[in-house]
Amino acid sequence: MSNAQIEIQLIASLVAIACAIPGTFLVLRKMAMISDAISHSILPGIVVGFFITQDLNSPLLILLAALTGVITVVLVEYIQKTGLVKEDTAIGLVFPVLFSIGVLMIAKKANDVHLDIDAVLVGELALAPFDRLIISGVDVGPKSLWIIGGILLVTIGLLIAFFKELKLSTFDKGLAASLGFSPAIIHYGLMSVSSVTTVGAFDAVGAILVVALMIAPAATAYLLTTDLKKMLLLSIVFGVFSAISGYWFAHWLDASIAGSITTMLGVLFLMVYLFAPSKGIIAVMYREKQQRTEVSLLTFLLHLKNHDEEAERHVNHLNEHINWQKVRSKTVLDLALKNNMIVINNAIVSLTSKGNEFTTQAIDYIITNEDAQIEDMKDDFFLFRG
Amino acid sequence: MNIQEYFSLVFSDYTLRTITLGTAILGAVTGMLGSFAVLRKQSLLGDAISHAALPGIAIAFLMTGAKDSNTLLLGALVSGLIGTFWIRGIITKTHLKSDTALGLILSLFFGFGMLLLTHIQKQPNANQAGLDKYLFGQAATLVESDVWMMAIVTGICLIVLLLFWKEFKILLFDKDYAKTLGFNTKTIDILITSFIVLAIVLGLQTVGVVLMSAMLLAPAAAARQWTNSLATMVFLAAIFGALSGVFGTAISASQNNLSTGPVIVLIAAVFVFVSFVFSPSRGLLFKQIRFIKNRRDLELHKTLAFMYHIAETHDDISHPHEIKILNNFQGFTRGTLKKLVEKNYVTLQGTTWSLTHEGFKSASNLYNQLNKNDE
Repeated sequence: MSNAQIEIQLIASLVAIACAIPGTFLVLRKMAMISDAISHSILPGIVVGFFITQDLNSPLLILLAALTGVITVVLVEYIQKTGLVKEDTAIGLVFPVLFSIGVLMIAKKANDVHLDIDAVLVGELALAPFDRLIISGVDVGPKSLWIIGGILLVTIGLLIAFFKELKLSTFDKGLAASLGFSPAIIHYGLMSVSSVTTVGAFDAVGAILVVALMIAPAATAYLLTTDLKKMLLLSIVFGVFSAISGYWFAHWLDASIAGSITTMLGVLFLMVYLFAPSKGIIAVMYREKQQRTEVSLLTFLLHLKNHDEEAERHVNHLNEHINWQKVRSKTVLDLALKNNMIVINNAIVSLTSKGNEFTTQAIDYIITNEDAQIEDMKDDFFLFRG
Repeated sequence: MNIQEYFSLVFSDYTLRTITLGTAILGAVTGMLGSFAVLRKQSLLGDAISHAALPGIAIAFLMTGAKDSNTLLLGALVSGLIGTFWIRGIITKTHLKSDTALGLILSLFFGFGMLLLTHIQKQPNANQAGLDKYLFGQAATLVESDVWMMAIVTGICLIVLLLFWKEFKILLFDKDYAKTLGFNTKTIDILITSFIVLAIVLGLQTVGVVLMSAMLLAPAAAARQWTNSLATMVFLAAIFGALSGVFGTAISASQNNLSTGPVIVLIAAVFVFVSFVFSPSRGLLFKQIRFIKNRRDLELHKTLAFMYHIAETHDDISHPHEIKILNNFQGFTRGTLKKLVEKNYVTLQGTTWSLTHEGFKSASNLYNQLNKNDE
């Protein structure tokens, strides 16, 4: 690995961490789309800052752009407050307008300077190591490494200092307000941090892909845990993993590093989305299928309890009268047999004493409107689940 | 070229006519379908879909190697639909909220699309240039066949909209009721979502991935302010969209270095702004005027009630009192007093005022009314 390669991976990892921290809170506060809005609408701030400073890495530019981000949030909230349109429409109206202004400003004025919309949107991480920060003649490393490192340090400092407040206001705004923490200050603080991070990261990974680094690791982590600290940690791990693996993938494919980091994030999310132990799509579908069978089983047992006549209790009757398909009635019968709920004599089904007890209790719960208790009861009675 | 020249050229010049027609049709169809997106609280879906369409364009190019815009748009359509249904999957099957799902799909698909685009650019194939016009759109690349395509799709949209008008409407406002009436809500839902995706994909070439969502939202949000009827809203949104397209093209053609997409978006934003401020029933301006008027009325009533309480203590209700005693009272101004005189509730004599019979009566009624309201 050459020096430049190590530096690129270091920058990408720092960006990933710096994005993952505010991203976690954005996802939890249902404000993920705000990060998308900010990432677009900082464009005019960047352009104006660039006209003034002529330097994409100047702190003034970062401040100006971050200010535009906060203005976006304020504008969105103002439009929401008028009640003329719904919340999401307000977001969708504000950022394209600001973005358009930015694009037109670039087209009108910056044609001959080095500021290109593609670069703002997509960034070019591969070029980051060539822009060195030189302090009194000594080369101390790439500029963007220092910028994102500084932002990350401030973010971590704020996170540690205000962790309790952030946690409380994220999960219980009312309680936070009544305990005297101003939700507004925390809200705008978080927005400011997100804006600054977005600006600091845009020249490494591009404004739009910052959104991926903010939302995707947090969303992936959210599928795996419900503990805030674990979620923060997991999203950082996911971010850094995608940053480094994405770099090598881009290296192999000879394509955009930012795009490839996002693709890795996507693959990671897809994997977790499919295979997460309790919230993954496969687990959810399996559970739904299990519940469907168990509900059928309960219906079937109730039917048996209600009918003494043999005609109603005949195995074939399941298909004819209850209108189930063959496969389904077979699954239900098997499950009932396995759990010792029924016995079958000469194709006539009858409840065992255990089945009878289960059904009686279930009826009690249904009559008293305590359906939820049936779930617990299943644990007591079932040897095998559906 | 200035705007007047533009309008004289628009009927004779092929390029201008094509672009103007194209943007107008696009604005109309996105405005029409955008109304549904806005009312269904799916405003940001447009943003997500337009970004999600990018990898489809790249893959379609990789597979066919041709830059035929219809093939690329087909790819975009497929990838946009996949994105849409994945978003739904995330929302219904996991505990992630809709904003997370939208942001996730938006950024992940877009990043993947960028990966493919940069990969394509590195290929030794001279044919690939110009794919990035889908990022920001280039109305100038519209040709007549594109406009025909748009017109046909718009026609189909219109027919489907008219055919299923009742179903769309009921699904929009009362989904559960639609279900109980036996409508297949899932199919209608998929139908309308697919058409929204289709409209977005059509617009990619003209205004690009990033700004497409505004095309969908802005005309509809503007139209919403003027009416409470769905049909009128859809119609108005289509007109606003078409006008944004025409004016946007006109302005960007009359100036150097102005890309059409952003200008169209800004024009649409002007429509939204004007609607927000000047709409008679919902607009901020008239709301503020009504607010001030109500406050004035209330002050007038307060003054009258105060006078009534003074007059009550006298046998003769028209007994004159000094105006001075009103000065301690907050609601009193010279203006309100004048208004009371105009209404013939009060007569003024020098520095004294006295309540008329009419004034006394309405003041006592006012009091009763207030009491009634309290109860």
